[in-house]
Amino acid sequence: MSTATASGPIVALKNVTKTYQQGAIEVHALRGLDLVIEPGEFTAISGPSGSGKSTALNLIGGLDTPTGGSVQVEGHDLGALGRKALSDLRRDRIGFVFQAYNLVPVLTAAENAEMVLALQGVDDKTRRAKVTALLDQVGLQGLADRRPDELSGGQQQRVAIARAIAAQPAIVLADEPTANVDSATAEMLLDLMERLNQDLGVTFLFSTHDPRVMARAKRLINLVDGKVDSDERRDG
Amino acid sequence: MKISTLAAMAWRNIWRNRRRTLVTLASIVFGTFLAIMLTGVGDATYGSMIDTAARMGNGHVTVQHPMQVQAPAPKRFISGTTALADKIKADPEVKHVSARIMGQVMLAAAGESRGAGVIGIDPTVESKDTLSALGGISEGKLFGPDDKRGIVLGADLARHLGVKLGRKVVFTLTDRHGEVFSGLARVRGLIHTGTSAIDGGLCLLPISVLRKALGYGPDDATLLAVLVTDQRYAAAVSKRLMPLANEQRVVLTWHQTLAEMSGFIDMKLSGAAFMQGLMMLLIAAGIFNALFVSVMERLPEFGILTAIGWRRSQLFILVMLESLWLALVGIGLSAVVTALPYYKLSTDGFSIADQLGDGAEIANVMMDPTMYVRIHPENLALIVLAVVTATLLSGLFPAYKAGSVNPVDAIKLV
Ligand SMILES: Nc1ncnc2c1ncn2[C@@H]1O[C@H](COP(=O)(O)OP(=O)(O)OP(=O)(O)O)[C@@H](O)[C@H]1O
Ligand SMILES: [Mg+2]
Repeated sequence: MSTATASGPIVALKNVTKTYQQGAIEVHALRGLDLVIEPGEFTAISGPSGSGKSTALNLIGGLDTPTGGSVQVEGHDLGALGRKALSDLRRDRIGFVFQAYNLVPVLTAAENAEMVLALQGVDDKTRRAKVTALLDQVGLQGLADRRPDELSGGQQQRVAIARAIAAQPAIVLADEPTANVDSATAEMLLDLMERLNQDLGVTFLFSTHDPRVMARAKRLINLVDGKVDSDERRDG
Repeated sequence: MKISTLAAMAWRNIWRNRRRTLVTLASIVFGTFLAIMLTGVGDATYGSMIDTAARMGNGHVTVQHPMQVQAPAPKRFISGTTALADKIKADPEVKHVSARIMGQVMLAAAGESRGAGVIGIDPTVESKDTLSALGGISEGKLFGPDDKRGIVLGADLARHLGVKLGRKVVFTLTDRHGEVFSGLARVRGLIHTGTSAIDGGLCLLPISVLRKALGYGPDDATLLAVLVTDQRYAAAVSKRLMPLANEQRVVLTWHQTLAEMSGFIDMKLSGAAFMQGLMMLLIAAGIFNALFVSVMERLPEFGILTAIGWRRSQLFILVMLESLWLALVGIGLSAVVTALPYYKLSTDGFSIADQLGDGAEIANVMMDPTMYVRIHPENLALIVLAVVTATLLSGLFPAYKAGSVNPVDAIKLV
């Protein structure tokens, strides 16, 4: 696609609005959100409950469509993509980590981690090799054959992160990835994400409520009432 | 994603809720077991009923005069039976062919007289395997080939006439021209079958004697009775014999010559088909419920899978594979559970003498007091196919549900 530019921003939201119809009431989740994410960023979105964090991440991830404005990922206007193209874009260019129940309970850690590669049709051998290296990278050596219920919450999130970065996406979107683990585990997950960002250049965009997590971000965007309230960059 | 990967995942998925899967499997096994047993009893019972009826005189397939069924009369006979029989015997599914004369006679002895059905047979080609009445001759015996004076009577008929073995009776009939003919015969044997139509109303005479009495030529007969190797082939055989039909003769199956029994069996079969339809519906409802609940429980998971790039079609196939696994495991278990009882019931059978009592006849056909379960292979295949179809059909909606999950809403359900 000709609009894609290798050097441009990964994500660009322009005047994005999202209005939910709840019976007779209109809920304005986003009221004109502008946001640009560049490659290599390590960005946290904070804000009070209901400020639109999840909504913004869902729109960027192509899981939902905006009421107004445009969402671009690597130069592609998501509004112009069909369902299959969106699905492929998510598979190939976006990694997802959710708050909980990320993993398929009947699959092992390795099988969960290689899921996206399997979807891409990567052959078994290459996949196995990649996943073994990947599980090492996220600190899960020797746990490849465990099922999710045999792993701790933190370990499960590591598998989810491994799955999210396996296909080398342009960006990893994580909606409150540390909300379901204790603070020590949260710190360790942050360490991992930070290392992946620094060593491999993985771009992260995550939402959080936790001030300690915010403190680790290199860029912190605060949403209030569906709009950017503050946007500060700090040098790590 | 490879189909084998999906199949492996589907296999593990069905065991996530072991109890629910076992209940579903139990319902499949129960339904399949009943369907096989009911169909097997029907196949065996009606099969043996048809064979018994065929051996009462007409055969599975009959070649006779076109008007013989509606208006039987001595003038309605067929000619050239030897040549016809040879042609019919050439069919690989034909087991036996015999020319017979069938009609009505008046029997008289010692001042008593009675009407009866008569079958004229050639004693050299007939046996109890071709004509069931012959198996009932427990007093005396059948007339021999050179015996021009012999007659065999139903035991009750003989009693009504007041005759015993060795005594004489006079038979009277109208010949092909409507002239009355009387002859004398000596009682050689008595038939006890327990079937009132035979014991009380049938006599057997040498076919040569009847030919003379009726004014028939040596190659004329009322009908050619054809027995086939398996009653299910009757229609096919009659179709192959169709070229032999002309204005003087038709080729019929037992459906036409034994219309009453055919109607009875058809009624029973449609009853059984209804029961089986109901059974399949129950199986389908059970599977539908299990799959639907399990899909609804997994919506968040399907939402996350959609988010990371699963296509709708892949989720659909995953759930369909789950229902296919249920069907296959269900059929496998059904085979295991059904095998032993089926083996016992197909070899030893079970007695229904208590239920039958004395009146063990349906449409004048004697019922065997031992019932067997022997299903026809094509009916077994049909049941297996029906189970698989019912399972897959009931998987359709849950699979569609899984494929059309909205990831945003589904993930929120967590
Ligand atoms: N499907 C929906 N229907 C109606 N309203 C919705 C829907 N989804 C979100 N909202 C509303 O949109 C607003 C923003 O929701 P969103 O989930 O994006 O907030 P959030 O910042 O992620 O909050 P939290 O910190 O609690 O996760 C809220 O007022 C929410 O109630
Ligand atoms: Mg949220």
